[in-house]
Amino acid sequence: MTRTPDQDSFRYPLVWRLLDGLNTAADVLWPRKMARFTGWLLLAPALLLVGILVISLVQIAESSLHVLDRSTFMPGEDYTLANYATIADSATYARVLWRSLLGAALTVVFTLLLALPYSYVMVRTTSALTRKALLIVLFLPFFIGQVVRAYGILIVMGRSGAVNDILGLVGIEPLRLLFNFPAVVFGLVQYMLPFAVLMLAPALTAIPREIEAAANSLGANWIRTFRHIVIPMAKPGLVGAGLVVGTLSLTDFAMPAMLGGGSQDFIANAIYDQFFRTADQGLGSALALILVALGSVIVGVIIAFFGAGTLGMGGKK
Amino acid sequence: MTSRSQRIVFWSLVWFSIIVLSLPTVIVLGASVTAGNIITFPPQGFSLKWYEQIAMARDLRQAFGRSIHVSLICLAVSVPVGTLAGIALTRFRLRFSSLIQVYLLLPFTIPLIGSGIGMMLLFGSWGILGSVWPLGVALAVINLPFIIWSVSSSAAALDGDLELAAASCGAGRIEAFLHVTLPGVMPGVITGGLLMFVLAMSEFLVSLLLTDARTVTLPVQIYNNIRSIITPDLAAVSSVFVVLALLAVWLLDRLVGLEIFLKSK
Amino acid sequence: MRNRMTRRSVLRGGLATSAAALLSGLPAGKLLAQEPEKPTEIIVRAWGGDWVQALKAGVSDRFTEMTGIAVRHDLTEDNEIQPKVWAAVAQNRIPPIHVNWDTTTNATKSALRGVTVDLSDLPNLANTTDLAKPVGVDGYPIVNTYGYVYVLAYRPEAFPDGAPKSWRDLLDPRLKGRIALYNDGIGFHFPAQVAGGGSLDDIPDNMDACWEFVKEIKAQQPLLGEDPDFTTWFQNGEIDAACTISTNALAAKKNGIDIAWTVPEEGCKFDTDGLWIPKGLPENELYWAKQYINLALTQESQQIWLDGLGLPGVVPGLTPPAGLAGDPSYPTKPADFEHLIRISNAVQVQNESDWFSKFKEIMQG
Repeated sequence: MTRTPDQDSFRYPLVWRLLDGLNTAADVLWPRKMARFTGWLLLAPALLLVGILVISLVQIAESSLHVLDRSTFMPGEDYTLANYATIADSATYARVLWRSLLGAALTVVFTLLLALPYSYVMVRTTSALTRKALLIVLFLPFFIGQVVRAYGILIVMGRSGAVNDILGLVGIEPLRLLFNFPAVVFGLVQYMLPFAVLMLAPALTAIPREIEAAANSLGANWIRTFRHIVIPMAKPGLVGAGLVVGTLSLTDFAMPAMLGGGSQDFIANAIYDQFFRTADQGLGSALALILVALGSVIVGVIIAFFGAGTLGMGGKK
Repeated sequence: MTSRSQRIVFWSLVWFSIIVLSLPTVIVLGASVTAGNIITFPPQGFSLKWYEQIAMARDLRQAFGRSIHVSLICLAVSVPVGTLAGIALTRFRLRFSSLIQVYLLLPFTIPLIGSGIGMMLLFGSWGILGSVWPLGVALAVINLPFIIWSVSSSAAALDGDLELAAASCGAGRIEAFLHVTLPGVMPGVITGGLLMFVLAMSEFLVSLLLTDARTVTLPVQIYNNIRSIITPDLAAVSSVFVVLALLAVWLLDRLVGLEIFLKSK
Repeated sequence: MRNRMTRRSVLRGGLATSAAALLSGLPAGKLLAQEPEKPTEIIVRAWGGDWVQALKAGVSDRFTEMTGIAVRHDLTEDNEIQPKVWAAVAQNRIPPIHVNWDTTTNATKSALRGVTVDLSDLPNLANTTDLAKPVGVDGYPIVNTYGYVYVLAYRPEAFPDGAPKSWRDLLDPRLKGRIALYNDGIGFHFPAQVAGGGSLDDIPDNMDACWEFVKEIKAQQPLLGEDPDFTTWFQNGEIDAACTISTNALAAKKNGIDIAWTVPEEGCKFDTDGLWIPKGLPENELYWAKQYINLALTQESQQIWLDGLGLPGVVPGLTPPAGLAGDPSYPTKPADFEHLIRISNAVQVQNESDWFSKFKEIMQG
């Protein structure tokens, strides 16, 4: 028996062999000199997946160039910009567009106003129980979906709902709290708050407690600490959350439809009406395209000025 | 929080948020046990008859099963794609990064009605409408920015030197990726994955356009019912969702700890 | 139990009759032998709530009993199924539904687009009134199955002096924020034309009177909604009056809400709904879809279905539901139609988009 102990005691594990194989394969399929394109390789599936939407967008652009023929309810043969002219001429769309923009802007402001203290308390609290409770409160509404939540709001804030009951206790006559612009914004804030908190929390965690403590010890009160330390350092989170909340509220359909009482349409509702109610896909497509362009320009400008924040895309310069 | 005034201001805002977030949920839970025939709050009497009714309803059960199916497909597509993209965007220097950001935010800037109609026509011309899986892909597309965001916020916090260290210890690119990068972004992957799953479970507008009566999912069923006549069985369905949500959150807490949502690394 | 047995046997009798009618002369036995293969189910798009319950009781359940084919109801809204069906036909796919229960105006658009199957060969059409025939299209791309009135529904509590006499009564300041219309204005344009001092003959060329009146109504801050909203709003005390289909008011009444309706002096819009079949179905499924519509035109089916809706049908000899005989929402005799406004579907289809955008322009202001 002449065995060398070394040979036996160390067997090259299968997993390592596998990894070596993969590495070799990687070297063959994707040589190191291609390394500067690795980022693009990893990004490619996402670009392709969103590509599905881009192809759809091209179709939408195509159909926006045809006018509906009302004797056959088919799109006309000719290419024309008539649908865009219709939109430009109509006072309704300008008003609805303005309402969507204002609604989205207000939603961003109010959502961040509520999300900032919420995430701050959640991150900074010393009690694990409190933290957990705050997280659970955040998660539950997610699961019941936007429509049911909007319905819940309809019940609570209706003329015979809980809020009016409470107002009644202090002698206030039942108020119409629903079916107006503030109700839509309220619904959107309620819908967006969990998203915003989840996006802000990591950014706030990244701010070391010590910096705040230092500011306090130098005599800054909390408002100044917040303004000069927390908010600037949380900026990536605020920008990221603002982008998500803003784009999603700008294109929202359910809240204006359910809480607006029919007279508080956003652009998405106008698009819905054209696609579904008057069967005018061309006009609906034109509206959709205008909304996409508008949203993308706003997003582009914000990213150009503030960066993408915790959306993190392209974080490394 | 050191000062008293800060505590008062913050906690009153937090309590306001808690009420705003929870009230509709509480109302729905309450309305589901009403003995009456219309949704009211407070409920008229107590009865579990609406739960009995939904337990008997084969349509609802099937729709629920399909929703799970769709959400799992959505996960299977979006998690790998979103993870790679999140890593690519933060760990690699890419040209035209602003343009890529605008491009990848298209799912949010295109109104869902537009995306829905567009994908309905596209999937129709590819001849894949009528199955359940295209909806899973579609939901992965429209919510993709969420998972990219959550992965890249984890990846951004990862120290790049770690990967270099691994390489200098002899790790190949694949090993470095599997043993260093991937574990580093795992919190983001879990957060993002959960978000994708939940959003797929509750999306109704695109789902409405991509399903038919044979492939209808639960949110579409709820949406259609709410728009016709609202009976407390819908509140019961939603309550089941809430219970499932609690269960999922509890499970997550046991497995990885809820604090994962607060971490940037 | 006894009751049910009786109804069953009645149903069987009805079945035999319809099957025979179907075969147009052939002996029933032979016909059965030639029946195309039965699908396991057919899908019928329907409105939810009381609407689908009525259809199920009157037509779907009987159809299943007669043929053994299950009926699945698709509760997608009529206007949301439309682009899905149109896209399916354009892309040569099998459409998502077998039968569409639709408004005649909407269905006419589909007929003009050429996605409907002609139903002229349904045997039971022979037994229908003029109401069943769609106007302004060739043949029967759609079969109208009943008529309905967009009444002025109100809570008697809010009108202590009795029913409102005129649509102009809605301009009373105390009703500010307490009235509701359909969110596309449907049902309201024509009475508004009269209430605004215009003439029905000027529709569609000159509707200034209508728009003037809509502007006056806008100042009253009306709520705008769809069928189920009216029922909900009445139930929750959000509104005192609405221009809506009588069926929605009836639904609120069944839930114990004190509610009444009337046809004011300017009149009310009368319109029809119908059933149609999209192109592109396999031959055998098309056959059974046609049988479904044929069954819906039998007196027995119409009686049960329309009892549920509280609406007048398209076959003679129907008994009005309890309390609705002579009701303005249940017109049967020519005299009943004097105060009702009927505008051809062709005119409506041509102009609906313009009316819609004009209405929106006023209401979104």
